[in-house]
Amino acid sequence: MDDLIAALKRDVDRTLLRENLRLSPERRARELMALLEAAEEFQRAGHAHRGEL
Amino acid sequence: MTDFHRLLRILSDAGVDFVIVGGFAGTLHGSAIPTRDLDVVYSRKPENMDRLTEALAPHSPYLRGAPPGLPFRWDRETVAKGLNFTLITDLGAIDLLGEIVGGGDFAALLPHAITVTIFGVPCRCLGLEKLIEVKRAAGRPRDIQAVAELEALLEERGRAG
Repeated sequence: MDDLIAALKRDVDRTLLRENLRLSPERRARELMALLEAAEEFQRAGHAHRGEL
Repeated sequence: MTDFHRLLRILSDAGVDFVIVGGFAGTLHGSAIPTRDLDVVYSRKPENMDRLTEALAPHSPYLRGAPPGLPFRWDRETVAKGLNFTLITDLGAIDLLGEIVGGGDFAALLPHAITVTIFGVPCRCLGLEKLIEVKRAAGRPRDIQAVAELEALLEERGRAG
């Protein structure tokens, strides 16, 4: 498992992590909620585009 | 969408003893992997189970992914007879865990928890090192992916001082 984790670790985008580390935990939580909201909006738009709504 | 803010607020206001674990704990530490549910390990003490059931009752908890109409009753007896509950509520998805692989129950996790104030609510959140440990123990493909990121996060945190 350690080899697999080491391999996966090489692909981690550390710039995102460094950016997040500069934020407060609250800000990280708020950004997650904003991301989820945007994802839902995209999903709704996709359904509407396909005439599913 | 899961309203992390309101879920944490109602649990906290009700005085429920819990520790945030899983993907949302990762988010609070700085993970960039999004999660859609709130995972908490709750204390199985009788008074805490009372507080938990009362806090969530007004929010229509139901087994996530189960077909509608099952005879599921959200009350203290149900919680006492079960352990881990994967629920959907009108505030979103929440996993209530009596214990977790590699971490144990609420009391066992408590020494590894830190207090984080989010949305004005002081909450216990599993520390990053222990979070890595329990995700390693869980060992599912998505956990392994998360471990890689969390270990990188730990290294970055160390570098940042």
